[in-house]
Amino acid sequence: VAEVLPQTQDEHPAAAQGPGDRNARRSILGSVDWREYVVYAALVLVFTFFAVMAGDRGFLTGSNLLNIVRQTTPITIMAVGMVFALCAGEIDLSIGSVVALSSLVAAVLLRDGSIALAVAGGLGVGLAVGLINGLATVKLRIPSFLVTLGTMSVVAGEARSITKLQAVAIENSTFNFLMGSGSLGPIPILLVWTLVVALIGHIFLKETVFGRHVLATGGNRGAAQSVGIKTQRIKVAALTISATTAALAGMLYAGRLNGARYTLGEADLLTVIAAVVIGGTSLFGGKGSVVGAVMGSLIMGMVNNGLVLMGLDVSQQMVVRGFLIIAAVSLSLRERAR
Amino acid sequence: MKDKSTWRAATVLVFAALLGACSVSEPNGQGDQAAGAGGATATFDLNAPTKGPNGEASTPATSIPDLSDAEVAKVKAARYKVAFLDAGTSTWFNAMRAGANDEVERLGMTVVSTAQADFDPAKQASQVETAMARKPDIIMTLAVDPVSAAQAFKPAVDAGVKIVMVDNGIDGYTAGKEYVSIVTGDHYNMGEGAADLMNQALGGKGKIGYIFHDADFYVTNNRDKAFKAAIEQKYPNIKIAASQGFTAESQTADIASTMLTRNPDLDGIYVSWSAAATGVLAALRDAGNNHVKVTSIDLDATNDLQIAKGGNLFGVTADQPYLEGQVMIRLAAMSLLGKQTPPFVTVKVITETRDNLVEAWRESLHQQPPAAIMNALKK
Repeated sequence: VAEVLPQTQDEHPAAAQGPGDRNARRSILGSVDWREYVVYAALVLVFTFFAVMAGDRGFLTGSNLLNIVRQTTPITIMAVGMVFALCAGEIDLSIGSVVALSSLVAAVLLRDGSIALAVAGGLGVGLAVGLINGLATVKLRIPSFLVTLGTMSVVAGEARSITKLQAVAIENSTFNFLMGSGSLGPIPILLVWTLVVALIGHIFLKETVFGRHVLATGGNRGAAQSVGIKTQRIKVAALTISATTAALAGMLYAGRLNGARYTLGEADLLTVIAAVVIGGTSLFGGKGSVVGAVMGSLIMGMVNNGLVLMGLDVSQQMVVRGFLIIAAVSLSLRERAR
Repeated sequence: MKDKSTWRAATVLVFAALLGACSVSEPNGQGDQAAGAGGATATFDLNAPTKGPNGEASTPATSIPDLSDAEVAKVKAARYKVAFLDAGTSTWFNAMRAGANDEVERLGMTVVSTAQADFDPAKQASQVETAMARKPDIIMTLAVDPVSAAQAFKPAVDAGVKIVMVDNGIDGYTAGKEYVSIVTGDHYNMGEGAADLMNQALGGKGKIGYIFHDADFYVTNNRDKAFKAAIEQKYPNIKIAASQGFTAESQTADIASTMLTRNPDLDGIYVSWSAAATGVLAALRDAGNNHVKVTSIDLDATNDLQIAKGGNLFGVTADQPYLEGQVMIRLAAMSLLGKQTPPFVTVKVITETRDNLVEAWRESLHQQPPAAIMNALKK
């Protein structure tokens, strides 16, 4: 057995980077990348911490735990999209602005149109911005960091001008029910959205050819091209997925708040990136996990909720949140010693 | 071994950070009575008249006389140039700009520069410099930071530009010298008005949550302080059972739902301004809570629909941004004509409930409420 194992280890690229003097037992352990599972440990750790510190203040009540899910759903959904962008070796900074614009477009279309039209309009915002982001990145060969920095501003400007800064109320109770306010028995509809989007994202990334191509493109573009992967198309698709999930998140905000406003989503970008990275997705492409991103988002939501329940003021919350992000990321993303 | 030590170090770091933060919060008890407007307000004098930054008595905006026909003609002939240097963007700023624009048009002026600073003092300083290149006669602004604005607006003061300000003053500046006048809503009375509304909504008795703006910002701090003082001093049977600060509007849903988790028997919630109340209303909806009454400040197209429908939002107080903008331009024109101008001008507080919603929109924003609200009112 000891003779066979090192061979299997060598076939595993991550383990192959490890020091060569490991014994056989460590090789078995070494063949598993433990960092992929660290996010679960972090989740349990954070949950336990707040269960102890804020358990008597209602942290563990069913309604509070459902609140956490409700509050994190838009972040989770954007995080799923961002995983694709990052895995493909790109980044999407425009998501916060897409949230605002899609929510407003949907709200305006709902005034006299059908739900289908409103949802199509909202998602259309995401598709359009995503396509522009992707095409500008690959055709003009501008880094997506800069392209999406630009579209972030363009889209934010559009969101401000479309209703002249005025909030738009949404009275369509079916839309509000489906997109955030409703619940199926005790289960908030937002939990359903989280599960559906996470499941689709996970299957796409891990179980399909497309997902493997995304990872290959972000991991080593030259190698991916040499085996015939159309990396440009993959990058455009990844950025389109990212912006489209942001558009969906925008409509979920609008449904929950029963209204849209240009300020929606403006503070979400860094939370999304933190959630994704805590979940083990590399900022540099080629490695990522949808399930990890969902866990990362739940950790962020739990921290926000728990710190408020504990009665910390805003400045203390900011300090603790910052430390937590560093700690969580250091667990999941630290480069291996070489 | 490498992996293990990483684990250990990071775990220690997480706990150190969390425990550190907890020990910080202990001296505050629940940590609820923290900085800013969360502090004690027992000494706050609700009856003190609202005064300007240098102790100037206030003049009601409605008592400022209009220009005579001859004066209007004179101003028109001079073709004055105006720069709008707003601090941010919102429905409120839009309404103020609309009031100013109407007056600018009436007086034959032109707008040569328009900017908004995203509440960033450095941005505003650059915008003053940029605007000065167009040689404006009038600058209409909300100074983002009263301290650094003294330096930021110096180029305009040196060039003799007539500066009219809304809400904030600038430290070290005096009316009639560096600037013409300050025009403002009465933020203390707006806060107190929100407390009066809370009293009305609760029938004089109950437990409320207090969600305040946890940042050093003159306008919101004054509203919050006055609300708290009014509840404590005027309404002894209304108790503030929970208080929590926020810095971004997006946090309030979270805060309200945790407040309800900890205090399921709340009867009311106050939140500093209306756009921030949207999250509170969503949290109440999530919890299926029709009992809690919310009061806040400023008019808002989305939230006011709740007022019209008799939802959780009971009422809001507001100022008159359209009138403020109009009066600011008029005061600048008076100053350019060499006339005396009052140093500190206030507009009245409007209290909006379902009964006077349309009137409140007209008086405050100079607008008809959106169709959705009008329809809800008919029902």
